Amino acid sequence: MADERRKFDVSVVTPEGPAFEGEAELLIVPGQAGEIGVLARHAPLVATLKAGSTRVHVSRDDVREFATGPGFFQVQLDRAIALVDDAVAAQEIDRERAQRQLDEARSELERLEAGESDADRWQLEQRIRHAENQLGVAGGT
Amino acid sequence: MATVQDIKRRVRSVRNTSKITKAMELVAAAKLRRAEARIEAMRPYADRMLELMAGTARASSSVRGLPLLQRREPRRVAIVPFTGDRGLAGPFNSQILRRSFALERELRAEGAEVTWLVAGKKGRSTLAFRRYEVAGSWQGFSDQPAYADAQAIAHRLAELYTAEEVDRVVVVFNQYESPLVQRVIQRDVLPIAQDLLESGEEQRREDALRGDFIYEPEPEQILERLLPVYLETELYRALLESAASEQGARMTAMRNASKNAGELIDRLTLQMNRARQAEITQEILEVVAGADALGG
Repeated sequence: MADERRKFDVSVVTPEGPAFEGEAELLIVPGQAGEIGVLARHAPLVATLKAGSTRVHVSRDDVREFATGPGFFQVQLDRAIALVDDAVAAQEIDRERAQRQLDEARSELERLEAGESDADRWQLEQRIRHAENQLGVAGGT
Repeated sequence: MATVQDIKRRVRSVRNTSKITKAMELVAAAKLRRAEARIEAMRPYADRMLELMAGTARASSSVRGLPLLQRREPRRVAIVPFTGDRGLAGPFNSQILRRSFALERELRAEGAEVTWLVAGKKGRSTLAFRRYEVAGSWQGFSDQPAYADAQAIAHRLAELYTAEEVDRVVVVFNQYESPLVQRVIQRDVLPIAQDLLESGEEQRREDALRGDFIYEPEPEQILERLLPVYLETELYRALLESAASEQGARMTAMRNASKNAGELIDRLTLQMNRARQAEITQEILEVVAGADALGG
């Protein structure tokens, strides 16, 4: 096929294991300063990522979307690696569960502010951010 | 002497205990396998992270300004023991605490102040019992720590270090060698060792071959974000090692307990049979004596 795009190696890796590993035509990651799209033969690049949506275009009609946490991105020699602290496949996001986590974390944060809880504030804020990110990605599909 | 009935009751109680220890052994074995798999799963992330950090440091013009790399005279030292949430795991918790207290004595003898932070319920309750003040404690995840737990600990440690409330941070944890062997390790996690950022000739040549990376933002800024993440991965690895060690220690302890219960049951059964035989002999003697009396 004339319009078939060249493929390159893509990995989306989290501390709990790889979320995606394989070949793809196009990878779009949420860079700190805006989305970054990468095709094969891209110039070597290192960038920071913010929480958002990562999309792996395996082929024209096979696109895998992940809700990813903040992390780092590296491209070298036809190989792109996204190192993120968390990645959930878009179709595996449970809206109700994410919403419930969000509500729980928010009410816990309120209790913390009222001095009734000794939970870790920073951890709660992370949980809120993570749930919001999942809901954001689920809302877009 | 104990009656047959008494001994029977004891055998039953020991047998019930051994059922519990047997079940705990199996649960620990299953959790151990899961913990091992998670140590395996984090390896690619940790390796790539190190590579990325070394590469970014090579590209940075100066790494001196970064707070987590700053080396200071260690006047205040934070000790962070990683213990379990539950006991019944042999020497798992006690050996961590023993090493931590030994370290504390050592540091105090050198004239340093000690700040305590602790992961795991067991460690926290021991410190509370000794009326120690704790600058941070985390619990509820010792059997399967999530990356987010490591992040929470890393965040607090980095905060204390950056605010110059502590000048050195030492984590004490059980390193997982095999289900039977756990080794107590103390590791300095802050300041981050500079030699991680240095690289050999070979890597420099490789860099030159590959050409320059485009850094977005500047390498110094990326490095500033990489360092806390490196701390997170180090702590996450330690938490996972500790979780695997805890399950390994519990498995071994419970296996020994089951074995002891078995031996105890054997001994009690023997005793019970003797007591029963004694009773029968006694009865026969009585019957014979009675018959003799009648016949006479």
